[in-house]
Amino acid sequence: MRTWHILRSRLRSIFFRRSRETDLREELQLHLDRETERLQATGLSQGEARLQARRLFGGVEQIKEASRDARGTAGWDALVRDARQGIRRLVRDWRFTTAAILILGLAIGANTAIFSVVNAVLFRNEALADPDRLVNIYQNDRAGRPLVVTSYSAYKEIAEYTDVFAATMAGSMPNPARYLYDGAVRDAVVEFATATYLDTLGLRPALGRWFDETEERPGAPLVAVLGYQAWTRRFRADPSIVGRIIRIEGRPVTIVGIAPASHRGTVDIGLGTDFWLPITAVPAVFVNLPPGDPTTIHAPFLVKARLRQSVTLAQAKAAMDVLAQRLAAEYPDQFRAEGEFAVGPGITVVASTDVRIHPQADGPFMVIASLVLVIVGLVLAIACSNLATLLLVRGTARAKEVSVRLAMGATRRQLVRHLLIESLLLSLAGGIAGCILAWWGMRALQGIDFPFRVDLTVDYRVLAFAIVLSQVTGAVFGLAPALKATRVDLLTTLRDEGLQPIDHRRLTLKNALIVFQVAVSVLLLGGTSVFLQAAAAARAQRVDYAVNGVAMLETDLRFAGYSEPDARRVFDELLRRIAAIPGVQSAALLRGLPMDVNGVAIVIDSGDGQKGSTLEAAAIASAPGFFDTLRIPLLHGRVFDERDRADSPRVAVISERMARQYFGAVNAIGRRFRSANDPNSWTEVIGVVRNTGTGDFDDDVLDPISPMFYTSYLQSVALPTTVIARTSGDAAPLVAAMQRELRAVDITLPVMTAQTMAQKLESSLAVPNAIATLFGALGGLGLVLASIGLYAVVAFAVARRSREIGVRMALGARSQQVVWSIARGVAGLIGVGTGIGLVLTVLLMLVMRAGSGSADIGIGSLSVYRPSFDPVALLAIAAVTAVVGVAAAFVPGRRAARMDPLVALRHE
Amino acid sequence: MSDQTDVLQGTLDLLILRTIALAPMHGWAIAQRIQQISDDLLRVQQGSLYPALHRLEHQGWITAEWGASENNRRARFYALTKAGRKQVEAEVAKWERLSAGVNLVLQRT
Repeated sequence: MRTWHILRSRLRSIFFRRSRETDLREELQLHLDRETERLQATGLSQGEARLQARRLFGGVEQIKEASRDARGTAGWDALVRDARQGIRRLVRDWRFTTAAILILGLAIGANTAIFSVVNAVLFRNEALADPDRLVNIYQNDRAGRPLVVTSYSAYKEIAEYTDVFAATMAGSMPNPARYLYDGAVRDAVVEFATATYLDTLGLRPALGRWFDETEERPGAPLVAVLGYQAWTRRFRADPSIVGRIIRIEGRPVTIVGIAPASHRGTVDIGLGTDFWLPITAVPAVFVNLPPGDPTTIHAPFLVKARLRQSVTLAQAKAAMDVLAQRLAAEYPDQFRAEGEFAVGPGITVVASTDVRIHPQADGPFMVIASLVLVIVGLVLAIACSNLATLLLVRGTARAKEVSVRLAMGATRRQLVRHLLIESLLLSLAGGIAGCILAWWGMRALQGIDFPFRVDLTVDYRVLAFAIVLSQVTGAVFGLAPALKATRVDLLTTLRDEGLQPIDHRRLTLKNALIVFQVAVSVLLLGGTSVFLQAAAAARAQRVDYAVNGVAMLETDLRFAGYSEPDARRVFDELLRRIAAIPGVQSAALLRGLPMDVNGVAIVIDSGDGQKGSTLEAAAIASAPGFFDTLRIPLLHGRVFDERDRADSPRVAVISERMARQYFGAVNAIGRRFRSANDPNSWTEVIGVVRNTGTGDFDDDVLDPISPMFYTSYLQSVALPTTVIARTSGDAAPLVAAMQRELRAVDITLPVMTAQTMAQKLESSLAVPNAIATLFGALGGLGLVLASIGLYAVVAFAVARRSREIGVRMALGARSQQVVWSIARGVAGLIGVGTGIGLVLTVLLMLVMRAGSGSADIGIGSLSVYRPSFDPVALLAIAAVTAVVGVAAAFVPGRRAARMDPLVALRHE
Repeated sequence: MSDQTDVLQGTLDLLILRTIALAPMHGWAIAQRIQQISDDLLRVQQGSLYPALHRLEHQGWITAEWGASENNRRARFYALTKAGRKQVEAEVAKWERLSAGVNLVLQRT
């Protein structure tokens, strides 16, 4: 009851401040009137009575104040008053306010948006049941390091150890695939997994079930589990999808369940897996890949197991060592092959909680992750120090106001509170602007058509962190100048600002902030240049062939239900029609394009009778006309012609790089190699062509040219998918014409891609471009912020010295001298800042190079950045920063020099 | 006037609570009543009366309602809350112990 009264009274005090004030006034007035009446009754005149009553009463305002205090709302009132004054003040200084809100908004918003993307790819971890009992198991390479690949047969051996493992599962790396649904063919990410997959992880399907062991047998009808994100986004969360049949890579597949919402895939790097298929579906979906081969790198399996309750990690390791020895004894042949992906006899067991992606990938992964964090952090640091500078400058400019307030009797406490509230208001507004920008930035990012889908949501932890940081900055740097300002010498400041001695000290907070901002800008640009470098390298690696005037059309006949011989006939018909389009100079059928080829494992015939080593090379199945169409020059031998038929000996054209690297000579005509999967696939080299840029199948972006070979599609198991054609004119109309021809052949054939090669090239660069754009934008943002800070500081310094400048000009100083005298001080600071920044950048690069030492393991979309030292680039960065900085300082300097001496002298 | 005593700090709350225990009153009337009942011995400083009233309201011992005064003007009438009634008893008991103690000290020294 009492609590209720208290609560009501307090709420009323807070929310009805105005009515409370009138109440108080009326109450006291009544008291005075009654007192007056009483005194009148004792015989005094009205005037005397009123006077007497007032005298008895004492100070009305004091009583009011005391009454307010008694309510305990005085603090609140002062807060409201300060906030109102602060808002009025900020609105009046709208230039300063806009700048500050913009700085904060950009820093918080851009950072949050960009970090949310990066976070979605790099940092998110899913919660699994009892994760401490999960282990990752890898086969080792010959050097004893865990491999990316573990073979299916090795998995089966591992799964036999039921006394050690309660459950064992294998899941493949994410693979690109296409599916047909509702009449449209779309890209998807598929994984191949065992029936034990979900149980081992300790998860339950969101709907339906996981596939079982009978469905895992070779030859069983194909089934799939749909990923939760794919279900909600692409199938509108329709529960009736379970039980329906959709076509994946042309094959009918029955959906049996929906994966749990929390589980996005075996390798959680932002690629949401759309479909899980049984491991045995690999050859059915990707025709030419037999499972069970230990050297298969197309479906590299990651094996995880759940330890039995009583089993320790050490015991599991011991058990796997026994297995490794047994395997080495039983299959000595399999461990004899040489090469990058050769399997050694060892097996590694690691607790799953200790691994992010893969034991060998985690090092470089952490380098990238920390680089991203550093860059994002640097932008925030620049923004905060910028805000600090602005507040500092403003605080100094307000010294006079502060002294007036102090002289009027304001306590220091009141003043500090007042200034503090003002800067907190400012950072709050900046935080709100940041939220809006973050939300808007995310919408913009979601609009970008990434070739892979990333689960994009604003990360509220990051947003909260950025806002809290900006508030702390606001508080700290609002307070520092406030404290400094309230220490002012009243007399000097009040007398005349112009007579104040100029501060000649070098080590002031302001100077330190300028140096800091310049240094961090250089570091930031240096950091982002690593990503720009990678993007430039990715572009360079793809433009070695002529794309202008070339159009491409991709289809997949399996979706239209053709048998293989029929399909080949249809393609021949399509090629004939396209070649007949007016203006077409050459056309070719192929499977795979230079910008998105896959690596395959091959074995080289070394010629001395020894078993060759297993190596990786990019492969394209092509046809006569391919090299003409893309203008790839032939160096030795010949390209494909009529002699190369399905029943003639297998032949290949290889790239200069492959010839040099794998055969030791550019002229490798007559040498042989074979697919690592098929011992009977010996292929003879008939020609060597100039290197072409390829997709970065091994992600080594700074080593753009991969070994590559071309086979004839007639001799390939897989069907062609693509027609390319070169025209003498513009490629864009050719795209439409090619689509018309496709429809003329069979109206039901799906169009997967129909683009000019130039467009295809651009879209294949989307990821490095997007990354470069994001980080380039961050670097630019940092530089802009830093120059705003410089500008503010110099403009302020000029304003303070305007009287001095006026005197100088009146005495005959030329404007250049004035500008120079202003610029000199700033240039020194910029020089120091740039120097520190360069040193830090070099240190950062050294750390990154050290961190990515064992980087080259070729995992999916994880690119490894090994910055190379480029002194020219570093100097350019330093120069840009210095020039921008000096320019920012120059603008107010020139304005000062142009000032009319009379105006400058009068200037207060 | 010299024989009037300003109300002691701390006893004002007790006096106010006790006075309005009989009937709700407005501020001036409370001051007058205290003065009358104490045969003009005690004088309530307005400077402390209103802050005290607001404090008591804030603490939840009394509530305030607007009503018509004896000469029909709007006035803020203070009344005890239930908790206030208990508080009066506690304050009275405390005061009695205090004054008894003070009296004893004065008599025995």
